Parts: sequence; C-alpha cells; structure tokens
Amino acid sequence: MCPALLEDDERCLGGTTFFARSHPVELCGSNGLPLTPNSITIYGRSQFLKTIEHSNLSTYLDIIRSKHERIVVVAEYSGEPLSNRNNLSLETVKKILYQCLLGLCHINKLGLVHRHLSPDNILITKDENVKLYNYGLYYMTDSGRNVSFPIGYPKYLAPEVFLGNNPNGVKVDSWSLGMIIAECLLKQNIWSGVKLAQCLRKVLSLINSETTIFERIARENNCLKTYEALPEVVKDFIDSCLQIYPSKRKTPEELLQHTLFEEFLKKDLVSKEQKIYNSVTARKMDELYYLWQLAGGDITMELKKQGLIRSRPPILSVPNLVVLLGQIFGRRDMAGLLDLRVVKVPLDTLRQRLCHIPFTANYPRLMNGTHIQAQDNLTRAASQLPLIIRERDTEYQFYRIVLYERLLQGYPITRDAIIREAHKDIPPLVRGRVWAALLNVSGDIERRYQMIDKETPTHTDRQIEVDIPRCHQYSELLSSGAGHQRLQRLLKAWVRDNPNYVYWQGLDSLTAPFLFLNFDNEARAFACISAFIPKYLHKFFLKDNSAVIQEYLGKFSQTIAFHDPQLANHLKSINFVPELFAIPWFLTMFSHVFPLHKILHLWDKLLLGDSSFPLLVGLAILRQLRDSLLTSGFNECILLFSDLPEIDIELCVKDSMAMYYKTPASITYRSHQLDQSKATNWIDPEPGTEKMPRISIKDFMNLLQNSKQNVIVVDLRNNIQFERGAVLGSINIPFTSVQLSHTDIMSLGPHAEPLANNRDSIVVIIGQHDQNNALFTEFLISCRVLRVCSLEGGIYALRSTAPHILVPPR
Amino acid sequence: MGEERIERVFKFKFPTCTTGQDYELEIPLKIPHDGCIKELTHRLISAFKLPCYVEDDLQKALEIAVKRWTLEFHDDRSERLIKAAQSGDLDVDEVIKNWEKLYKEKTTAYAEPIGTTDEELFAAAYHRLVHSPSLETILQAEHEFGRAVTEVVRMRDTEFEKLTQKQTDEVKVAVETLEAGSTERSINEMLGRHFEEQSLLQGHWGSRVDALKLEQRRQYRNWIMRLLEEQQTSMLPTPVNSPIVQMPPLRATLGDFGDRNDKGAADFPQLEESFTIHLGSQMKQMHNIRIMTGDVFDFCKTKHGDSGMDPTPQRLQTALGLYSNDLCGLVLLTDNHVASYSGITKELCSICQMTTEFHFPSFDEQLEKLRDDVKDVVTWRQAHQREGSDPQAKKSTGSKSLQIGDVFITRHSNLAQVHVIFHMVVQDSLRSGEINSRHPAILGLRNILKTACSNDVTTLTIPVLLVHEMSGDMTVAWCTKRAELVFKCVKGFMIEMASWGGAELKNLQFLVPKGMSEEVFGTLATMLPSIFRVSNPLVFKATDTLQTPKK
Repeated sequence: MCPALLEDDERCLGGTTFFARSHPVELCGSNGLPLTPNSITIYGRSQFLKTIEHSNLSTYLDIIRSKHERIVVVAEYSGEPLSNRNNLSLETVKKILYQCLLGLCHINKLGLVHRHLSPDNILITKDENVKLYNYGLYYMTDSGRNVSFPIGYPKYLAPEVFLGNNPNGVKVDSWSLGMIIAECLLKQNIWSGVKLAQCLRKVLSLINSETTIFERIARENNCLKTYEALPEVVKDFIDSCLQIYPSKRKTPEELLQHTLFEEFLKKDLVSKEQKIYNSVTARKMDELYYLWQLAGGDITMELKKQGLIRSRPPILSVPNLVVLLGQIFGRRDMAGLLDLRVVKVPLDTLRQRLCHIPFTANYPRLMNGTHIQAQDNLTRAASQLPLIIRERDTEYQFYRIVLYERLLQGYPITRDAIIREAHKDIPPLVRGRVWAALLNVSGDIERRYQMIDKETPTHTDRQIEVDIPRCHQYSELLSSGAGHQRLQRLLKAWVRDNPNYVYWQGLDSLTAPFLFLNFDNEARAFACISAFIPKYLHKFFLKDNSAVIQEYLGKFSQTIAFHDPQLANHLKSINFVPELFAIPWFLTMFSHVFPLHKILHLWDKLLLGDSSFPLLVGLAILRQLRDSLLTSGFNECILLFSDLPEIDIELCVKDSMAMYYKTPASITYRSHQLDQSKATNWIDPEPGTEKMPRISIKDFMNLLQNSKQNVIVVDLRNNIQFERGAVLGSINIPFTSVQLSHTDIMSLGPHAEPLANNRDSIVVIIGQHDQNNALFTEFLISCRVLRVCSLEGGIYALRSTAPHILVPPR
Repeated sequence: MGEERIERVFKFKFPTCTTGQDYELEIPLKIPHDGCIKELTHRLISAFKLPCYVEDDLQKALEIAVKRWTLEFHDDRSERLIKAAQSGDLDVDEVIKNWEKLYKEKTTAYAEPIGTTDEELFAAAYHRLVHSPSLETILQAEHEFGRAVTEVVRMRDTEFEKLTQKQTDEVKVAVETLEAGSTERSINEMLGRHFEEQSLLQGHWGSRVDALKLEQRRQYRNWIMRLLEEQQTSMLPTPVNSPIVQMPPLRATLGDFGDRNDKGAADFPQLEESFTIHLGSQMKQMHNIRIMTGDVFDFCKTKHGDSGMDPTPQRLQTALGLYSNDLCGLVLLTDNHVASYSGITKELCSICQMTTEFHFPSFDEQLEKLRDDVKDVVTWRQAHQREGSDPQAKKSTGSKSLQIGDVFITRHSNLAQVHVIFHMVVQDSLRSGEINSRHPAILGLRNILKTACSNDVTTLTIPVLLVHEMSGDMTVAWCTKRAELVFKCVKGFMIEMASWGGAELKNLQFLVPKGMSEEVFGTLATMLPSIFRVSNPLVFKATDTLQTPKK
C-alpha cells in the first residue's frame, strides 16, 4: 500500500511502439533543407495528445523517439480490453456504448478521429467504466501518412476507408462502433476464422447489401435469432451506425442523442451538479508517470522485456552496397512491422519507493493565505544536494510537486510563496507554469492571444522563416513541423502585438525556451515572452536599438571592471570589447549560446533577479574562461567566442548569484531599463566619465549602515577640506598627490594598503568632480583594485542629503 | 501537403445599430478548415472593422458552418467512392489485393510469423557467452583454430615456394642444355607438366584448407551452442573445455615458419595524436578524434605474437563488440572490381583467409553475393538515370560495374580491429589530382558515414588522403590541401549526422599512409584541432574570492 498516491491500483501504464516511415534517400523540402524525419514530425504532433483529459479517454503520457525512427508511446492503461469480456448484458453494453460515444465526441470536438476502434482499444475498468485507448495513433501519424503500415482493424473499418486514401471524417468511428457493439450484442465474433482477403471482401460487399447491415451480418453469422430478440430501439441504433452512405450515418454526437441514452444523459446532468464541489486532490497520471521514471521506471526496458522491441544486432542488418546516389542494396532488414501489442506496466516501483510517505503529505497546509507551512523537515536533507541530483530524487520531487501544485492552484494570491520556493528550485514538471507565475502572467491570456492576428502576411515573415529552421534544432520538439509552426505563430503574434518594436534576429532563440516549456499552451508561452521582454530587454527590439545596446554593453564593461579589474585591463589592452561577442548573449538572454537544458536552469534564477542579473551572468561566463582569456590575444579571443566552449552552468548560476548580491543596484542601473522606480535622484554623469561604475547616495548610505566593515571610503579632496569633515573611517588621498601614470598602488603611500588588500569590500570614491573621480577610478582599476566605484554627485550630494555623516576625522 | 480542399463561401448577416440595415459579409473558406475558429473570428472582426457585439454570434455561426461543411465534405467524398465501387468504376478486387498486401507486409498480425533465424540465435548465444566468464575460453579456442588454419596456409605457401623453386631450377637447367639433350618440345612438355603440378598442388591445398575451415566452423558453432546450454543449465562458473583437443595435431610443424609478415613493420615510426572535440553550436556532442600513421591492413591482421599462444587484446575488444551497438568500421579504397584476384581486395582476401570466418559467409562468398547485387545496381542505375537526363551521367550509364563513390560493404568476425569494411570505389586519378567537395569520393564518404550512422558503426577509420600509400608526386602542399578538404567535409557530415537519427560516431580515426614525414604529419595534426574545435577543458581554481570551493 502506498497512502501518498491516493490511487486505485488499477491505474497502469501502457506502452506501444511502432516505426515511422523513413524518407526515400536524399530528398529535400521546398526550402532546400533536408526533410524532417517522420519520427520527429510524429513527435511534435503527438504532444497535443498529452493535453487531452477526459474520463473516458486514456491519458497520453509520453511519446519517446528512439534510434532509427522508432516511436514509443506511453499512455494510461486501466482495466482490461472489451475483447476479453464475454456475455455482456444489454444494460452493460448500453453503458459501454454511451461512454464510448462520450469519449468519441470529446476527441471529435478537438478535431481528432479515432479510426482505430476495436474491442482491444476499448478498455473497461473494474467499475465498468470505459476508457478509449490508442485514439491518437491516426492523429499523430497525420492520418497515417507518416507511417507505412495501415491503421485500423479490417473487420471494423468502414467500407469507404478501403476505397480511398484520403483522411477520414468522424463518421468512420460510428461505423466501427456499430460493428463492435453488434458483435457484443450477437455474442459472437463476426466472421470468425475468416482469412484477411475474405474479411476485406466481406466488408466491401456490404456496400451492395439489400437489407440492413446489422441483419445481414446476423444472417451471415447464423445468429438471426439473437438478432430478432433484440429490442427495436437497439436495432435502430445499430442501424444508424451501420449505414453504407455516410450522409445517412450519424456522427457520434448525433448518436449520443439517441433515445437509447435518455436516462444516462439525465443521470449525468444530476451527477455533474453534485460533483462540482468534491474535487479531490488526487495525483494526476502525468505526475505519477514522471515520478515513476525517477524511481527507475523505463518503458523501453519493459518493451524489450516483452519482446516488442527486438534487439537484432546491427551487424546482421548492414547492407551490401550503397551507390553514389544513396540508394542501398542488399539490406538485410525486417524491422518496421506494426506490432499492436500493448505492454501493461504496473506502477509498483513507484509505490514501493513512496510507500512510507504519509497520506497527509498530499495536503501541504497553506498558512495565512500565502504562507505555506514548509515541509522543510521532510526535504531538508535533500535540499543541500546539487540541483542535478535533486531533480532525480523521487521523493524530493514528490514533495516539491505536491507543494507547487497546491501553490499554483492558488495563484496569483500565492505568488510570493511561489517566488520564495523558486529560490530553492523548480521541479521540471511544473516549470512552465512556475515561470509564468514568476513573470506575473495572469488573466485571460487565452483570449488575448486569440485576438492577435498571426496569419496575415507581413514583411518580417521571410526573415522569420529563415531563422526558425536554425533555432535550437537539436531539440526534437522545436525541429518538428508542429514546433516550427508554433514558433512562427508566436513570433508573428509578438511582432503584431508590439507595433513599436521590430523583429530582430534573436527573438526566435528568446522565444524558444518558452515554447519548449509550454508546447501545448501557446497562449501561455506568448504571455511569458510578452512579460519577459519588457522586464529584461526593454527597448532592445526598437528599430534603432543602438543606444540601448551601447548603454547595456557599457554597463557590462563597468561590471567587469568592478568585479574583475585584471580581466577588464587585459580585455582593454587587446581591445577586445563586449560589442564583439556579447550582443547575442544579452539580446537572447544567452538562449542563443546555450542548449535548452542549460537555459532552463539559468533562467530559473534569472527570472528571480532584476534586469541587471544578465550582466552578472555574462561576467560569470567570462570568469569561467578567464584563464584562456588572460593568456589570449585578440585573434584567439575571437576564435574562442566564435564557438563558445562548454560552460558549467550550475557554477555559472552560482557565481552570478553571488556577484549579484554583492553588486549595489545603482552600479548596474541603466537609463533604458523599464524599472525606473529608484531613478528619481539619478544624475547623469559628466561627459567623458560614462565608463566609471557609480554608486548612488542611497546605496552608499545603505552600505554604511548595514555592512560598514565592507566599505572602504576614499576621499579625494585636499587635506584641509578633508579635515573639515569627512565620512568616518575614510582614507584621504588628495587627487593632486596621485601620479596617474605610475600604476602601482604602493605609490599612494601606506594608508592605501587596505585598497591593495581588498577582498570583499566595495571601494567608494568621494570627490568633487566626476572627471577626477573617473581618472582615479581608472587608476585603481589598472592597479587591480577590486570593486571600485565613485559616489554619484560626489561630496556635494552627500553633504546635501546626509550632512550628519560628515564628521571631522579627528 | 497536396491535400484536397474545397472552397465554400460563408455568409453572415447582422443588423447595425444606427441604420437598422442588415450588414452582410461573404467570406471564402477552405474546407476542411484547419485553423482555430476563434482566431478566425477575431481576424474577421478586425479586418472588416466589425462591432464587438457580433463576436459571439459570428463565432457560433462560423463554427456551425465549418462543422457542417466538413461533414459534407467527407460524406461527399466517401459517397463518390462508394458509388464508384458499386458501379464497378473502382475495381474492388484490386482494392482488396492492395490492402491485403499492405496488411501482410506491414503488420505482425497478418504477416507470416518470423521466428528467430539461426543467425540471430547464434548471435545471441555468442554475445551472451563473450560477456560471461567463458570469454577467455572462446577467444582461446578461436585463436587455436586460427593458428591451425594459418599453419596450413603457411605450409601451403612453403610447398608452393618449394615447387616453384624446383621448377625454375629445372627450367633453367633445361634451357641451358637446350642444345645438349633437351629440345623445345621437351621444354614445352615440361612446362605443361609444371603447370599441372601447380594446379594439382593448388587443388590439394585448397581443398585441405576449405575442409579444415568447414570442419572448424561446424565444430565451433556446435560448441558455442553447447556451451550456452551448459552454462544456462548448470550455472558453471568455468566453461566446458574447448573442442581444440579433437583437432588434428599440426602444431609439430609450426616451428619452421617464422613470422614473415612482421618484417617491415618497424621501418617507420608510429605517429599518433588524439583529440576530444565538441561539435554543434548550442547542444554539443562529444567525439574522439585520432590521427595516426599506419597501414590500413594493420587494422585487419591478427598478430600472432611471438609466443603465439595467446590471443591479442584487440581480438577481445572486437569479440565483445561484434554483436553490440558499437561496431568498428574501416574505409578501404579499391578499384571497381568486386573480386579477389587483384589489387587491394586480393590482399585483404588473403588476410581474411588466414583464419576461419565463424560468423558470416566467407569473404569470397560475400563478394559473390555482391556481384549479384552489382547487377541490380546496374539495372537500377539505367532505370534511374533515364529520368534525369544529365548527359554526363548518361555517358557513364553504359558501365557494367560500380563507379567512383560507390561503396560495397563486407562483414568480418576474424579481423583484428574491424567488423565492417566499407570498400569505396576510387580511381587512380585520385592519387594525384585535385578534388573538391563535390567529388564522388567525398560524396561516397558521406554515404559511408550515413550508413555507419544507421547501422551503429560508432568507430570509423578513414584514410585521410584518400590514398593508402605515399608516392613521390604527393607534395606537402598537396597533402595539406587534401587533408583539409577531407577534415572539413567529414566535420560537415558529422554535424549533419546529428539529425539522421542513428548512432553518433564516437571515435573517428584518420589514417595517414606510412612513410609520411613527421613534419607533414605535424601539419596535419595541428590542422585537426583548428578545424574541429577542440574542447577547452574547464579549469577550476580556488584562488578567486568569488569562486565556489573546488569540487
């Protein structure tokens, strides 16, 4: 028993597998690029299936693409197939029929056709409820175009299916259901023991039938008596399914209105009203599947065990000859057959793994509206481990998911709590929703997105079309047809929604992570990107963004000089300016530089910081390359950045966080950032001093108050002025006494020693003019003094805002 | 997709507030419609500047219309088909035949049940055994078997040498005494006799070798199956004895034969350099790359060390990998004769014949099968090139053999370090001429990489200059240029490979002919990391204040 899962033990996983059709050799698409493999097309299309939720449909959980065009589909599998049940009573049949129709109606509404109905794909649970299975096969293979095998069971397929190759409408399912139910009612297999060709002939000969199909079938199978004994209303129903001419055949939706189901419909209405209030916090199937995988579950292994994936040694299939044009001869291969068997996998491994977790763990208590009673005591041990390990810890993830689910249900009221939790970590399963919460996305985003025109051609289409097939194409999701289409829609929508901005290359990479996380929720992806850009990249997408980028890169240089003067000096000496490498970094918030899995971890933290955080991320990257940079000249640096080496992203995140907390906000303040709440007192620097890091009076006062030991104040005024009144503990180095050309800190005399030994402190320079401050700052930086900045407005500003801290030094 | 669509005109009427008049819209729609109706509604509202109060009505009307039309569309199409079938316009028998074929060929439910083949059974057994304590015994047995054959082959060769020597002497004597004693006729007779002797000896030894191999193969395969059985039933930690004891004792004669193949191996220093590279712009894939000098057959020859008693470690690796998903491949440049009587193929053939091929058909048999396939290729090519009317392609159509860039593939279990050999057809012109990236040999290389990718060949050795031996006219400039081209093209193919959905190439070896000077080798070796970007190692230091502690 496992109390925490709150489940009925009937819930199992079902695994099936098939091969996608491989393209004939060396074909190119209309855009001149190689064709997308069909397995990827299927993978992209099938993502939509995972969003379908209905009580009469088995939930799709995962689609896995493995080597050599194989697709593995994982779906919920509860109960046993209808084909295992015999002698069903009329009432049971009616109930099954009714629920099948409910399921079919639901997928029809979503634009799907089952096309694969058979007694094997109708699952009956213990309490006699129906779950349709495998309803997505026809959809995900693009009406069977992407696979080479036929979909559907010959016996149950409608005759018109065989006559043409076109995609079928919803009415083929009515026919199949009619055949299946007819079989149930006649209590025997129709045309049992008949060979395939004969079976096909029998189905097709029905088109010339004089009598009703049902009667004819009953006659052919010698059970006319059973047929005649059936109530008229049932026969009438079957007849409305088994109509040769589709125009006379009813759709599942119409069938549901049949008099047969009157009582069911009424009952359902009543129970729906009753059920509205008792929603149970049971763990959803996708969570269970996710945890099951963490607990060591591997569907491919299960399929192998059952012989569905036969591992034929590859050397036995090597072909004999490959001619120049790519044509292959003498291939010894026999894979590719469709095997419809389903491997049923119970969730035992997971149950064992979580068996000691108490029932109550499912209900983390929300305190004071937004505060959550932490499960710290349960997860403390794990929370110290590295992120990568935490993400693979079944139990830890269980707690985290439960917690986040609860919080997300309460969003947006619980936003603060979500932010607090996000500082710890974000479980991959809920990342899409958590990011949206961090970006403050709320309201009817669905409708907002629908209102934007994404189809009317515009002049940026061409560029978008060129960029999309180059954007994170190693990802199966983003390289699929569905991925391309959605990314295009998102980009067009954003351009349309922001008429004051233009499409700059890079927007595609920027959108990619959001699409990746919200693949089946374009509206949310759109809302996220719409919130993300103003927060971090305000004005970057202006038609003329040079001023914004200039300022940004200027700040970046300052940040480097502030935290790593040695590196800054070197880069300056070889004239390797950020313009040469950092524009794509910041314009795409690094999503152009890193693969998606690293972006996810980086942005997890990025989203918690403000718009200055990226500067420190950039610096953290530089610091990982520090050694090579310091020993490289201009050309080597260019080469190094043209193909950035592997970066340890966890370290990068850690470093940037650490530096972020050590950087006063005013150092990285930009006049082009969106958040101008602290900018009221901002004084523009004097011309020619823009390159110097500056700290605001407010930040300076904060530092003095809260961490005095971490501030070194340098007063540049002459002795007399200094003696009159200065910040307590400040060092007086009169500017006139400094030999700027002599870049040795010791030349300043013994009282400059704290500067030379500076490790963790911020050096604030107070003077009268920005000009002198800038020169002196530059001097200190070239002497490799850490964290040098000058006080904004100098001594005058200080005197006018906080005269009380200026005291005579003696 | 060229999917069939029909166009319908959607009409929508609504009253305007001010004038009381009805406002009418006509919108052409494609059925089946595959966009979102809600979005369509909004697009219409903004395009026609409709008042917002029509939104709900318009959307509902659109939904209903699209749904109805879609149903009609499918109904119409199906009914047309049904009527065609009823009237006989559509041949129902043909339809049935096609579907039957489709079901039988593509689904297990209707296909002929395929059991596990002998090949697969043996493969499974072998793979299992080499990954068990029996490994050593098996290798030992293979080694012994191999030595037995090698001995016989060497005895054959010595006999032949002796005979040839004897005959040459005889002829010499006869020619010298042409005046005194022997006549032209008698010499001719003697030559005829010599030829007969030769063929007799050849026949004798040929059958002896074949018989030995056949017998070995039979014994070996039976023994493997027995071994598996016993291991499964008794869980013995040590395997049953190898069948070697039953072999005819040939060892006694061994001492006479020195290892003739080993001479010359040490003439040139072995040069070698390895790199680890990362390919890909965002997602980086790691590969090992090695450049080395050597003879292409070094990868094939099983070295029987001085003692000759123990199998070499390479054999162990090869045996473990034989039925795994990590195969080793080698690119061999050859002429367009798929036969073992001449050229490099002959040399390879003699190496293959030194020991028994226990797993696959013998090299000769594989070549024979290939010659059949070549016929298919010729017909395919003729059929294929008629379509594309490229005059240059047409010119070569007449050829009845393989062409430059074509690749034939053989499989081996008894070579030192390779399982699969890609024989790429090249011409002599490749030795000296200039080539570009569109050259058939480069395209052939791409096909090889692609085949390797889809067949789990993860270690591949490529002769980097596309020749196997150094020659006088290969200048330094030529070598660098050729190597650069091959490096760059292979890099491109490897990047492309990531999207082929097969196995990634883990180890790539570039082979440079023996005898290349160290300087040229050095040039090529330095070119490698600049073309394939070598991954920079991450260096962690604890000296900085901000850095986290060392891991």
